[in-house]
Amino acid sequence: MEQLTAAAVISFSERLQEVSARFYQDLAAAYPPHRAAAADYATRCERDKTQIVRTYRETVTDALETGYSFAGLTLPAGLLEASVPAGDWEAARERAAALEEGAAAFYEEVATRSAALLATIPRAFRRVAERRARQAAAWREMA
Amino acid sequence: MAVLENPIKEVRTLQNYIDGEWVDSQGELVDVVNPATLETVARVPISTAAEFDQAVAAAQGAFEDWRRTPPLARARCLFRLKELMEQEFEELSRIQTVEHGKTIDESRGETRRGIEMVEVATGIPSLMMGNNLEDVASGIDEYLIRQPLGVFGIIGPYNFPCMVPLWFIPFALATGNTVVVKPSSEDPLSQLKLVELAEEAGFPEGVWNVVNGGRSVVGAMIEHPDIQGVCFVGSTPVAKNVIYPGCGRTGKRVIAQGGAKNFGLVMPDADLPHTIAGCMTSFFGNAGQRCLANANLVVVGEGMTESELDAYYEQVVEAFVASARRITIGNGLDEAVQMGPLRDPGKKANVVRYIEQGIAEGATLCLDGREFALVGDYPKDAFLGPTVFTDVTPEMTIAREEIFGPVAAILKARSLDEAIAMIHANPFGNAASIFTDSGKWAREFQYRTRCGNIGINIGLVAPMAFFPFSGMKDSFVGVLHGQGQDTIRFFTESKVVIQRWF
Repeated sequence: MEQLTAAAVISFSERLQEVSARFYQDLAAAYPPHRAAAADYATRCERDKTQIVRTYRETVTDALETGYSFAGLTLPAGLLEASVPAGDWEAARERAAALEEGAAAFYEEVATRSAALLATIPRAFRRVAERRARQAAAWREMA
Repeated sequence: MAVLENPIKEVRTLQNYIDGEWVDSQGELVDVVNPATLETVARVPISTAAEFDQAVAAAQGAFEDWRRTPPLARARCLFRLKELMEQEFEELSRIQTVEHGKTIDESRGETRRGIEMVEVATGIPSLMMGNNLEDVASGIDEYLIRQPLGVFGIIGPYNFPCMVPLWFIPFALATGNTVVVKPSSEDPLSQLKLVELAEEAGFPEGVWNVVNGGRSVVGAMIEHPDIQGVCFVGSTPVAKNVIYPGCGRTGKRVIAQGGAKNFGLVMPDADLPHTIAGCMTSFFGNAGQRCLANANLVVVGEGMTESELDAYYEQVVEAFVASARRITIGNGLDEAVQMGPLRDPGKKANVVRYIEQGIAEGATLCLDGREFALVGDYPKDAFLGPTVFTDVTPEMTIAREEIFGPVAAILKARSLDEAIAMIHANPFGNAASIFTDSGKWAREFQYRTRCGNIGINIGLVAPMAFFPFSGMKDSFVGVLHGQGQDTIRFFTESKVVIQRWF
């Protein structure tokens, strides 16, 4: 069973937020009718990244105390390869929904596994999980 | 998993920081070596006593102006320093990993704890307030004011090169004193980075000085008549035989934090998964090079029969060893790694000698850290895996002496009384933990155990910046501790004024 350090989980979270932000920037550029929503999501991804890193840095000593709580967590590496399909809005919308669902599931799992830490860590992850779940639902509703 | 970029790009010859200037030392140069790669990352001077004297003169010269600086203005320097430490958080942390070997998570934790010291010290306008009482006699009022004393010397250890000097520096400066810091010559880089930030934060020249070096600087610090007090964290022999008597002879204040041999008690009702998780960081974090690391795990059979205790002991051992075996070892800049190397190959050799002694004295080596898999391609010279001994008795050397490495000894006690007696038979008294669901046992343990820092279902008993970092018996000599209100009192004189107006 793989044991993930807090540093590894946070690094992955940072990259996931960066990839997500880039995905939405590309989506905004490729599909002008959906530019506003996509650009807004890109900005939120950047903000969430800052929030996650700040929370981690402020509570890393608590993470160390129970530093092995991420044992068994699998990092969904496939999410980091998200890219925007060209010329097919339905496919792009579907890709966005899948990215949001994958991200929401990941952050929810991290929040649950870090429940033994100070409240700020699971709370930060859960907030991102909930928002990304809402975004997933929004994309689905557009179908 | 990502291996983070090394922030140190060139091998520099380090300088001292005296009176707001970076100055070369005339002392011999010693290599600072990254224990994970065995690469030289800097050359540190072993400064002379004369160079130390220059720093004290600068600090003494800066003292009068600094003490007259309003506490709020002094606090603002600390606020700016805190902000700069946040901005440079990652670089400060990576430097610690390179100079010491600890994992990046551990370094970030150390940086955070350092920042917390600065944050607490910014409260100095409140922390330093005295008190008063009207009409102690007819028309007479009496009040207490806290005044700074002058120049303090601060000696840092190698195991927490960034954080430990910060147990003292922010409080010394906030109270209006000036300092001369001697970082560990083994890993001085993060202290030099810190003073760079202090310079940027606007501390006046001479208020915060750094002199690299070794014994000659320590000796000069103890003897210098303008040094008002010394803060030391290191080994017990140096604390007890050098720092404490030296400061006593020369009339200085002293905080001298020494070694440790910490016990963790596992009671029959302990939540084992959480207990074992807490134990992993406690026993093996920082590769066991912590004065708060647990070293002896005592499985306590309070209320159990002998056979029940034997079965419980086996259950705890099995869970402990299974977790320890999974710890990944390698370069601390690799985010997949959970334990870095010891500070240098010599320290590893010392720990290996203890392992051999444990075997020779009849303990059972059930996890041999001399055999381990390394993540990445690095020289193994300073690395050692988690090591676990069972069938350990309190008389064995590995149960009595501070090993300062990733070695756990698992003992057995029939009762809480017997376990506490084991702790009391040991000369150290830094920290002790109990893992239990019983408030009664926890209270009993807290009340009776003669150790400075007590953990109840906490493996790593590290006091926050607003509480003193305690310690008893051979783990501490002095009266007041670092951190918290203790340190405010340490760095100030209590002056009492009694006044009457005719």
